[in-house]
Amino acid sequence: MSVLLEARNLEKSYRLGRGRVLHAVSGVSLQVRKGEALALVGESGCGKSTLGRTLIGLTQPTSGKVLFDGQEISGLSDRAMRPWRARMQMVFQDSSAAFNPRRTVGESLAEPLRIHRRHGVRERVAELLDQVGLSQSVAGRFPHEFSGGQRQRLNIARALALGPELLVADEPVSALDVSVQAQIVNLFGDLRASLGVACIFISHDLSVVRQMADRIAVMYLGSIVEEGNGLNVLDRPAHPYTKALLDAVPRPDRALPPPLQGDVPSPVNPPSGCRFHTRCPIAQPRCATERPVLQPSGEGRQVACHYPL
Amino acid sequence: MDAEQLLDIQGLKLNLPDGTRLLEGVSLRLNAGEALGVVGESGSGKSLTAMSVMGLLPGLKASGSILFSGQELVNLPDKVMRKLRGARIAMIFQDPMTAFLPVRSIGAQIDEQIRLHHRVSRREARARTVQLLERMGVPDPAMAAKRYPHQLSGGLRQRAMIAMALSCTPALLIADEPTTALDVTVQAQILTLLREIREEGAGVMLITHDMGVVAQACTHVAVMYSGLVVENGPVRDVLDRPLHPYTQALLAAIPPLDGPRPERLPTISGQPPTPDNRPTGCVFAPRCSFVRSECAVRPPLTEIEEGRRVACVLYAA
Ligand SMILES: Nc1ncnc2c1ncn2[C@@H]1O[C@H](COP(=O)(O)OP(=O)(O)OP(=O)(O)O)[C@@H](O)[C@H]1O
Ligand SMILES: Nc1ncnc2c1ncn2[C@@H]1O[C@H](COP(=O)(O)OP(=O)(O)OP(=O)(O)O)[C@@H](O)[C@H]1O
Ligand code: SF4
Ligand SMILES: [Mg+2]
Ligand SMILES: [Mg+2]
Repeated sequence: MSVLLEARNLEKSYRLGRGRVLHAVSGVSLQVRKGEALALVGESGCGKSTLGRTLIGLTQPTSGKVLFDGQEISGLSDRAMRPWRARMQMVFQDSSAAFNPRRTVGESLAEPLRIHRRHGVRERVAELLDQVGLSQSVAGRFPHEFSGGQRQRLNIARALALGPELLVADEPVSALDVSVQAQIVNLFGDLRASLGVACIFISHDLSVVRQMADRIAVMYLGSIVEEGNGLNVLDRPAHPYTKALLDAVPRPDRALPPPLQGDVPSPVNPPSGCRFHTRCPIAQPRCATERPVLQPSGEGRQVACHYPL
Repeated sequence: MDAEQLLDIQGLKLNLPDGTRLLEGVSLRLNAGEALGVVGESGSGKSLTAMSVMGLLPGLKASGSILFSGQELVNLPDKVMRKLRGARIAMIFQDPMTAFLPVRSIGAQIDEQIRLHHRVSRREARARTVQLLERMGVPDPAMAAKRYPHQLSGGLRQRAMIAMALSCTPALLIADEPTTALDVTVQAQILTLLREIREEGAGVMLITHDMGVVAQACTHVAVMYSGLVVENGPVRDVLDRPLHPYTQALLAAIPPLDGPRPERLPTISGQPPTPDNRPTGCVFAPRCSFVRSECAVRPPLTEIEEGRRVACVLYAA
């Protein structure tokens, strides 16, 4: 299938003053094909949200390129970006903040539609509600009348309004109860099947990601350390960090192995060489000096490690 | 060997001034050296149950019984409760910022907690603080004690809060979603800590929505739904062979981390009732796929085998 979104060597850094620079995203290259679901996983602060926002032009990269449907969209002015906006949309975790509390949800859903069309707005709102599994009759209700799971459905409906080809969903289920989470996970599966929309899921929950994504990219301190088919990566991790993340997930059927020591280093002063070497259980002297690059390692997988598992 | 019964909650009810019942009659037990996981739908009353044990519920009317080492806590005078709190019963929260004042170093705050309950000098208190932080796996504990809360990472702050909670060696530690905001790698460190605390003889009540956390850190589990405990028992039994239809549905909804990937996740239809429109019969009946006419009368939490209790007509003798 053809490539929908491509990132080439993306960097995003923030100047913190006094000459300090925070490297939120560094050297990320990736592709998302049409209709495909890619997941970005990793610990808090590793750059998942920054990368997600940069990919759809909500944040400008410091360097590197983003191509959508073969055309470069990074560096475009707000105005030049406008025609592209409808084709990629974002869904956030906080499902209560996104809707105007004083408007009915039907009005809020109709708003982006009115900018683009004059007729059939009401029919389209009904269709959107139907697509996310809500009754059309809820259009006249206000945001506070909905549960967390229903509000997340409304969020998704709004993101779908203009018929995007790509959704970036940042922690779309992490604020939800397990039973509600299952409904939203299923909903994304249904939407991908019926609309063919490509998705980038940002999540720190590996079992959710395994259920939702075709491919997984594992990030550490701003860079992708392993990327490949979701089931392969999680069933047979090749990078020591992916393995450490998996090992740390508490499971019913086995005791927790000794946890990874220490905290994630600061992205202001990232370690030399392999950025994971300060916590890596199998690090060798070479790891502290030589930075491993992301390299193909069979079955469509890429790994950035001198000593892959 | 009979373990010492530390906590015995029987038919705990909690009402709003307008009569709305937030807790419908919660019953659960915890022995010393055990860890009880409390799981269930958001809003089912997990935190309220914990706060009842802490005696921290202004404006809510409690009835029923909470026996802590044989002492009745329901309607205990504030003064007596305050003595228990911090010394014999301690609590940790999801957000450690709520436990610490932002304007003082964490060490000073832990020292103070120690001196509130023990007659020791400042210097002795600080020595104990540093020792506690070290036990919690805080690197360079003497330095860390001098830091302000916002200067520590989330994981370190969480460990500092646990250090403060443990400063008086409480018999009961209540933890309300202590790892929900943490990365799995940091969570694993905290769970290991909680396990050690329990193995040293304290009782732990751990509120969470993560079944993996329960499996790792707990010996027993209580499942709550709409202001009631609907099932409890030893953790392995409940996870391997859930009895209540709600527990079964809850476990089935978790996406697996290995094995075949299901096409769709099983879900529970509908929504939980709010406290003011709870069904008079089984609280799960409107969403239960096994519902039958007997469910119109609320089934009590009944022991059906040694240590296992369930509130469901399917298991009525
Ligand atoms: N506007 C900004 N200015 C300065 N630093 C920023 C800014 N936005 C993000 N950062 C920093 O960039 C790094 C990456 O942040 P980001 O939010 O992308 O991480 P994340 O992986 O999404 O984390 P989480 O799982 O906590 O959401 C962090 O160190 C963060 O503090
Ligand atoms: N002070 C209060 N006044 C009125 N209602 C309250 C109060 N505190 C809690 N409630 C209600 O009581 C019910 C139980 O709340 P509780 O906080 O114990 O739930 P929980 O099981 O801890 O949920 P969560 O998983 O979301 O933390 C909820 O419906 C909540 O809205
Ligand atoms: S390169 Fe070295 S330090 Fe980095 S993950 Fe591989 S073995 Fe560990
Ligand atoms: Mg984020
Ligand atoms: Mg709670």
